[in-house]
Amino acid sequence: MFGEQQRFVLLLIAPAALLLLLFQVVPIVIGANASFRDWALYNPKKTWIGFDHYVAVISDPAFLYVVLPNTFLFMVLSVAGALVAGLALALLLNRPFRGQKLVQTILLVPLMVAPVVAAIMIRWIFNDQFGIVNVVLEAIGLEGQPWLVQRWSAFGIILLTDIWLWTPWFTLLLLAGLQSLPKEPFEAAAIDGTTTWRVFRFLTLPMLRPVIVVCVVIRAIDAFRTFDIVWTLTGGGPGRSTELFSLYAYVLAFLNLDLGRGSAAAIVGGLIILVLGVVMYRLVDRIAKA
Amino acid sequence: MQGLARWLMAAAAALMAATSGATAQVKELRIGYQPSPIQDASIAMFEAWGAKNGVKIVKVPNSYGVYVEKMTASLTSNSDQYDVIWHNDDWGQTWAHLLEPTDDVEANKYGSKWSMAPLVFANAQGQNTVVPMGQTFSVFFYRSDLVKPEEVPKTLEELVTMSKKLQADGKAKFGYVGGMSMNHSWFSWFWSMWGNNCDVLMPFYERDNKKLAEGGWKSSMTDPCMQKTVEYWWDAINTHKIAPRGMPAYDRNEANAIFMAGDAAFTVADTLWWGQFNDPNKSKIAGKVAAARFPLGPDRKKPFGWDDIWGWAIPKSIPEERKKLAKQMLNAMMLDEEGQTKMFKATGAPPPNTTFWPKIAEQDAFMKLLKEAVLDSPDKVRGAYYFPQWPAVHKAFNDTVTRAVTGRREDIARVLAEGAPLVSKAAQ
Repeated sequence: MFGEQQRFVLLLIAPAALLLLLFQVVPIVIGANASFRDWALYNPKKTWIGFDHYVAVISDPAFLYVVLPNTFLFMVLSVAGALVAGLALALLLNRPFRGQKLVQTILLVPLMVAPVVAAIMIRWIFNDQFGIVNVVLEAIGLEGQPWLVQRWSAFGIILLTDIWLWTPWFTLLLLAGLQSLPKEPFEAAAIDGTTTWRVFRFLTLPMLRPVIVVCVVIRAIDAFRTFDIVWTLTGGGPGRSTELFSLYAYVLAFLNLDLGRGSAAAIVGGLIILVLGVVMYRLVDRIAKA
Repeated sequence: MQGLARWLMAAAAALMAATSGATAQVKELRIGYQPSPIQDASIAMFEAWGAKNGVKIVKVPNSYGVYVEKMTASLTSNSDQYDVIWHNDDWGQTWAHLLEPTDDVEANKYGSKWSMAPLVFANAQGQNTVVPMGQTFSVFFYRSDLVKPEEVPKTLEELVTMSKKLQADGKAKFGYVGGMSMNHSWFSWFWSMWGNNCDVLMPFYERDNKKLAEGGWKSSMTDPCMQKTVEYWWDAINTHKIAPRGMPAYDRNEANAIFMAGDAAFTVADTLWWGQFNDPNKSKIAGKVAAARFPLGPDRKKPFGWDDIWGWAIPKSIPEERKKLAKQMLNAMMLDEEGQTKMFKATGAPPPNTTFWPKIAEQDAFMKLLKEAVLDSPDKVRGAYYFPQWPAVHKAFNDTVTRAVTGRREDIARVLAEGAPLVSKAAQ
């Protein structure tokens, strides 16, 4: 049925395919099955209830008017923030200077920190009584703030944490992209006496665009499902005001112990990511071909 | 022939080794728990028993943040991952059908009848499913170096007055601090609510699910008592400034840290933190802490005590011989007077065996107070509700009151009215 070469190829991909099947496909199928059933974690009756859970999720005002807007806002601002900071650092690191390797290594440290650990650290940094932020503010004569008690300051801290964690990832990839750019156009621009800003605007940025777009697509999809830092920093509070999609699904499945409804929420989120991913990949394709 | 005999002997020895290995495997009990002073102290008793009886105690710590979901999944999947697990009144009914009945643990008869009531821990057949670990409830802690016993606030209003006085005199940065965020409602919201004839659901203080269902799982969010409770905390934080502005986001650890740093004169915390509050290595206020009854709101005159237990349970799905061994261990723990006295001294949590209470109270003023104010009090409240949807109800409650207390004062009634149907719906 298969030639020797085909059998060899199948053998090579078998372990990866098996892992994918066991740890990706099977859980998704089980989750999808649970989403159509009365499946409480403490008493899984597993009776078929059709689309009831889906209707409950997509008609939930909290999901529509708090969770989804929060999730998209977080996705846009977090990706944009980390991209800008990562690009700035990549540009700085792309110039030779003394201690460049050391700085580069130090800048990568956040990548090695577990998000939960980072979130705990940030929560204490912004603690209104013991946090260093308020100590500094009070030292310069400003009033310390209860950062996690108001929606937008809490949301800002979540963003800051995420940007801090992901900036090195952007830096690393964009730096690799910068170092692979041909030197000739930059040398020509230097001979013409072009300003640094114009070099960046009309040479660096357009030539780096394919790398930027790939980074943005991957990170945007990942940002959509952010859970750990939000759960640790605010738990979605105060009063659900910083709740993102993944927390919404988690609370339903594991706090309310309603695995059926939590799975339905996860599937709805998965479909949203799927649509978003398709749109973004088309965008990448168009940019790459441009 | 001699060679064959040697082989047979070797085979017999190997078989014996294998058999004794299997026996050794049975002589092991795996404990699923959450590291905390009281659980650590209780497990120390297991270990002492294990050492005497040749049973290896394997401790498997789990994070509090994911404990219920993780353990529920373990219980419903019929795994034999744990032989004994930490159990709590909050999820007494959620797990009742998944746990081994413990009526045959003889020493259970010495446990607190109130705390082990069937409505909390009994399964559908009326069998008990818990062995108590210790009494876990909160009391009103105050700084004994700043406040004399006769000055301790007896009302919520006095709490404000006394706090402001201490702040004005420069003796304390804050009057009160306590956890407020979700899953820490007990340390500000709940006690102040119960102390003003109020509760999460109606009728107030009712825990019988049939009666709650008859009442339509009605939330008390729109009752004037709840508005008064939220307004009290709004004023305490924003108007009187006796509590930190960040308090609505505090968990118990953050609140305890402020109290132990000496920055607040009063707090409400579980008695099991008594040991930590008085540990000079961890607390700046060691030796300067005392406890009292909860201050009451304007609508309640009668003092009350809030009394619950933490316990241990045995998953139904584990093999019979391990259930038997686990019950032997739990029975021995219930009878371990020395271990339980040590546990009380280390933590401040009254031990599970009620017959030890008078003796400890004779020697310890804190236990005497707990006995008078809570354990022997005829007016008690239960700290949770006992139906599986309780976590969802609690979350809906906490989300609503948090929104109300962090918003504008004039919006409190509106926010509570918006949250009322969400609380009721979560219960159904």
